[in-house]
Amino acid sequence: MPELSLSLSELNWQVRDAIRDHLPDTYWVRAETSDVRRNQNGHCYLEFIEKDTRNQNIVARARGMIWSNVYEMLSSYFETETGQQFSSGLSVLVRVSIEFHELYGYSLSVVDIDPSFTIGEIARNRQLILKQLEEEGVLTLNKELSLPELTNRIAVISSPTAAGYEDFCDQLAKNPYGFVFYTKLFPAIMQGDRSEASIISALEKIYEYKENFDAVGIIRGGGSSSDLSCFDSYLLATNCAQFPLPIISGIGHERDITVVDAVAHTRAKTPTAVAEFLISHVSETAADLINLQKRLVEESNFIIQNAQYKLTDLSRRMIHSSNIFVRDELSGIQQLSVVFKHQTKRLLQIENHFVSEKGQYIHMVSPENVLKRGYSLTLKEGKIIKSVKELLENEIIETVFADGKVKSITTKN
Amino acid sequence: MKELTLTYTQAKQELEEIVSAIESGELDVDALTEKVKRASELIAFCKEKLTKTDKELQKILDEIS
Repeated sequence: MPELSLSLSELNWQVRDAIRDHLPDTYWVRAETSDVRRNQNGHCYLEFIEKDTRNQNIVARARGMIWSNVYEMLSSYFETETGQQFSSGLSVLVRVSIEFHELYGYSLSVVDIDPSFTIGEIARNRQLILKQLEEEGVLTLNKELSLPELTNRIAVISSPTAAGYEDFCDQLAKNPYGFVFYTKLFPAIMQGDRSEASIISALEKIYEYKENFDAVGIIRGGGSSSDLSCFDSYLLATNCAQFPLPIISGIGHERDITVVDAVAHTRAKTPTAVAEFLISHVSETAADLINLQKRLVEESNFIIQNAQYKLTDLSRRMIHSSNIFVRDELSGIQQLSVVFKHQTKRLLQIENHFVSEKGQYIHMVSPENVLKRGYSLTLKEGKIIKSVKELLENEIIETVFADGKVKSITTKN
Repeated sequence: MKELTLTYTQAKQELEEIVSAIESGELDVDALTEKVKRASELIAFCKEKLTKTDKELQKILDEIS
């Protein structure tokens, strides 16, 4: 055994004294909170950590504590200023004194806090996430979805016991127009460390049934003293941004626009406001329908009236023009009949004249008339003799006169 | 209205097309009758979608767990 040795407590006392001597003041320290919890005495215990900005690995860690009386004062101040509960995952600027206890070791005791640093950090963090989402081309994807005209099948992500959820369902059910809404709750933890994973898993569940829904409502009861950090998570935001159904956020926060609000299709302030938004959207849809119906009725009436008018006009024109036609035809026929009579008479006269002329001529040239005028016919054995050469001497010939016949015998001249 | 297996958006779109066609003034009375009949069906369908609870749909949603 070496001559000079110390007990552990002796060593720890020396460490304690050395720290007290060399780091006697209080120091402003930038760190991230983790594992924040309070015990029954109201003292707050937590871890301060620092992460590598590039790979998020933890590069420093220290236990921290806030005495009950200090915590009461600082936490309410912090909440009023930031709208955030003092909780894990926050970047904070705190003034600490450095403690070393021989039994509990190294820890930082918080004596003051600067909320404006956290506000700045939250804003900066939001900006970083939004920028990253933009670079990845997903920032506005959910906003680009169009809300179906009839959006009444709503998948709701909420804590089942939240007052905000009840308000939301009530508001929808009691809408004054009697529109029907279908809500389906996908329960999730809405604050604290587990909320990010819980909400993402609810989204995944909805994704499985996405054909059954028109939109997603992410809602959370109000109250300013709430931990919004999960709604500023990159992972949740990128899930929301790329979700195939429009997301309506109602996270119950007046002042801040979280990253989830920023990527959501529509941001409403409270669950009730989400319900109002949905009701007014369906109202617009209904108004469009009524308007279409009105146009249909007016235009159809117009067409029918017009057709009736045309029909009346047509029938009037038809009667009128038929009358004219009949009258014209009648007068035409009368004229024709006059002409016809006249012509017929004339034609008959001409014919008569022709016939009587021909008759006279025929009468004049008939053999009886020729014989009467002194001509005679000479026959031999009943045949007409037209030449002297047909006759010899001593032949009997018959001569026909108008009033009788004689027989004679031929002689030589 | 069971024979219409349309979404609201499809029904509304068809309705809009009919109204536009009627407003274009190119329809005769025979065609108009047909169109108005169809349009009335579509309007009734849409109104029902807006205000009547679809029990089948409600059941489907209730069964998701």
